[in-house]
Amino acid sequence: MRRLSDLAPALAGALACTWFVSSAAQPAPAPAEAQDLTFVRLTTRQYQHSIHDIFGSNVEVKDNKVAPGFRDEGLLALGTRKLTISSAEMEQYEDLAQDIAAQVVDPGRRATLMSCRPDDESAADDECAASFLGQVGVLLFRRPLSEPELRMYVSTHSEAAGQLHSFNAGLTAALAQMLVAPDFLFRVEVSEPDPQRPGQRRLDAYSRAARLSFFLWDSTPDAMLLAAAESGALLTEEGLTAQVERMLMSPRVEHGLRAFFSDMLGFDGFATLSIDTNLYPKFTKYVHEDAEEQTLRTIVDQLLRKNQPYGELFVTRETFLTPSLAALYGVALPRSQELGGAIPWVPYEFPEHDPRVGILSQVSFLSLNSHPGTSSPTLRGKALREKLLCQKVPPPPGNVDFSLVQDVNNPKFKTVRQRLTAHSTEAMCAGCHKITDPMGFALENFNTAGEFRTTERGEPIDASGTLNGRSFDGIQQLAQVLKETPGTSACLITRAYSYGTERKPSREERQWLTALQSELAKEGGVRWRELMHRITLNPDFYTIPGAATLTVQAGR
Amino acid sequence: MECEFQVMSIRKPLSKILPGMNVVGACLTAGALLMTAPDASAESRGYAISLIYTASYSDQDHCPNGGNGGPPEMKQRILMSRGYTREQAFKIVASNDVDENGKTIDFRMRGTLDGEPVSVAIFPTSYPDPHIETAQGRYAYGFNLDGKVDSSSFEDPETHEQGVDNQMWRVLGCFTNYQVRRPVIPYNESIVWDTAIDSMPAWLVSISGEDLSKDGEVTVTFDRALNIVMRNAHGQVLRGSSYTIDSDPRSHSVFKGRIEDGVVTVEPADFFMQGESQFYAVLRLTQARLRLTLHPDGTVSGVLGGYQPWLDYYHYLSIRGENDGLVDLPGVYYAMKRLADADPDPATGENRAISAAYYIEAAPVFLTNGAGQIVSTAYPGDAHEPGAPAQRKDGAVQQNAVAQQ
Repeated sequence: MRRLSDLAPALAGALACTWFVSSAAQPAPAPAEAQDLTFVRLTTRQYQHSIHDIFGSNVEVKDNKVAPGFRDEGLLALGTRKLTISSAEMEQYEDLAQDIAAQVVDPGRRATLMSCRPDDESAADDECAASFLGQVGVLLFRRPLSEPELRMYVSTHSEAAGQLHSFNAGLTAALAQMLVAPDFLFRVEVSEPDPQRPGQRRLDAYSRAARLSFFLWDSTPDAMLLAAAESGALLTEEGLTAQVERMLMSPRVEHGLRAFFSDMLGFDGFATLSIDTNLYPKFTKYVHEDAEEQTLRTIVDQLLRKNQPYGELFVTRETFLTPSLAALYGVALPRSQELGGAIPWVPYEFPEHDPRVGILSQVSFLSLNSHPGTSSPTLRGKALREKLLCQKVPPPPGNVDFSLVQDVNNPKFKTVRQRLTAHSTEAMCAGCHKITDPMGFALENFNTAGEFRTTERGEPIDASGTLNGRSFDGIQQLAQVLKETPGTSACLITRAYSYGTERKPSREERQWLTALQSELAKEGGVRWRELMHRITLNPDFYTIPGAATLTVQAGR
Repeated sequence: MECEFQVMSIRKPLSKILPGMNVVGACLTAGALLMTAPDASAESRGYAISLIYTASYSDQDHCPNGGNGGPPEMKQRILMSRGYTREQAFKIVASNDVDENGKTIDFRMRGTLDGEPVSVAIFPTSYPDPHIETAQGRYAYGFNLDGKVDSSSFEDPETHEQGVDNQMWRVLGCFTNYQVRRPVIPYNESIVWDTAIDSMPAWLVSISGEDLSKDGEVTVTFDRALNIVMRNAHGQVLRGSSYTIDSDPRSHSVFKGRIEDGVVTVEPADFFMQGESQFYAVLRLTQARLRLTLHPDGTVSGVLGGYQPWLDYYHYLSIRGENDGLVDLPGVYYAMKRLADADPDPATGENRAISAAYYIEAAPVFLTNGAGQIVSTAYPGDAHEPGAPAQRKDGAVQQNAVAQQ
């Protein structure tokens, strides 16, 4: 693929300039004010959703393999505030940008996106280009383009079109330039003094729109939200409420829900998941591909379509299966597709006598939190503590002796439980294993691949355990305990808030979240839309506690 | 127009059973449902055939003259029949069929028809009978199909049944490709099957009875699926996968039989399975017999035998050609015609069918009918494998798939 710089030599410097010009070309600041800017890099999915929402879902966004970043406070979202873009990633973004731009300005598609037509297809048309670039620029940068910015992009168009004798080529170059601009690849959050709270800062209207949109939709603001930002309505309680309620009724809420739970449940781990298929031949590549989707479909169905409280996720018997998952779970799944047809997702309800209940008994949780060749009550217990209860489990000491735990052929300790119990008699290990293992043992009826089992190497499985003084035996009882434990919903609420703000909540915010949990508990549990509603109408959601963010001072 | 079905002593006009449906549609629908209705037996287990191949049993005695070899030996013989010495013939074959003049010999076109060279695959009688060596010896897999024990019959190497009729083995058994014994499989058949099953409907078997862990009456049913076989990470048929039975009655074969000590045998009946593979375009047997062993790991394996139209198998081989089929096609054609032992043509008296035996292996799977009902389960009622639906004694299995999307 040709790079932008190959397309027109004059553009070689233009790309580099983008990084300076576009940031410097923010809307004109009030003279005596300092402006706080913070940058949040778009995730791979947010990039894709933005492109699709702006240009249409038939624009192909090739897999961009930028690093997912790192977890902070249990969430990748918090890490996005600390991410930059490496030169290798920039090259990927550049390739993507050129490919997407070429698709968008393709004559077949261009007609539906552009309100004007060039007078001459073989020459630049600055007026028409300005119209198009200004229109999509608002959506890409989530704010209006300044005059200098628009001039720069039109100039790129003009130069490239002139050199290549093609209006389209010029437009492609300009659009690609926009797609690698920091204003697109990052959410540039701009703050301003909060008139309601003297001494505090809040996000400005456009940044507020972006925060709302990426939180609820995992995508860029739409035209209505931007219009509310432009008019200032979004800064009023009434205007904000109207937009939130509108957004929560949109199908795009599903994207937001999926993105949050993918992050919270650590589904980025699927990219590096390795299960030993010599030992678990049912763990096919299709199971690997379907596992995440099964859990996300279950979550969407329960929390959005059926408006169930969060706790239902742990006890529901309803889910969705593909033929590969059904085979792994050992259940029949009538297939209607003919030869060569698409693999269907079939709604499925496990019967009462079936041991499988809730998302913890799904292959996504079980396999992601196992070793490649053996189950791990420790990893599973750690995941339950950290991902679902927001607790921290210390890492093992550096000099720990794992030999007994890893000796899967030990004739004396046939089961993982037996080996772990023996291992935990060592004082240096006992402390942490007491935290993790009793919960993880409850999932021992499921092997690494997520298949059900009642024995391990001929020994019956003991799936009993405890949590906060409550005893349980097996996944069904553990699920019930998790559903009823207040810490489970408290963790969800905190995680959701942190995810939306991409920072750790302040002390005051934590107090508010605790109160919110009590209120929602009285209303029958945490329901997703209601939780989103409460969080996004809280003014603190848009405040900028300076100490918690990476702040760049930019003169205005 | 009236359509009537007589099943299980119910004899009613279908228009009264399924009011509101047009009669033709009702006939088709009811036919499809009845075809795949759950067996009334208490237990029904389903399987997908993972492998089927000519049941070969090679030993030291069965080709006393050394056998027919493979394509290199066949080509050498052809060249020698044209006057080349053994050494010259070997040199040509070793040179990728290029003769002393630098010309590539097209062995396929060695037939002659109206003075023109033709393919012996298409016109096997365009070339004289090379009189291939046929298998002798004591053993061959199969069944005593005609009830006689005579000089043309074998002894089954596992059951030691006498009078085994397997003239197909006699024809093929001395080609190198077939000179194998389980677990080795005739190469041409194994590779074709392994390729074909990724694009053709799965072949299904169900075994139904009161309690398959005990001796008793059973029904064995073969069907074709609407779905392609699913594989596990090892490339084997995925245990516990689900298949919808094709309601097309052509590929529906039912056998009555018994299970004793975990081995199923059946009364003779006809077998028909439509394939969509280059090799197994169709597999049809008359007076078919079956012996299937239920293994502790849930799989079944055994032998399916009967009389097969010999041209069917010849067509399988001719499509592959001699280099892939690894046989001398005119030799096989003439031998099959000569050794065919059933279904005489009323006009010529020549037999059109040949006794044959196939080894089959199958993995446990779930079978459902077109209405989404589970007809056969992959695992026994006590579900020693994960999460298998509990099966009630009336044979019904709880239906959990809510709806198809």
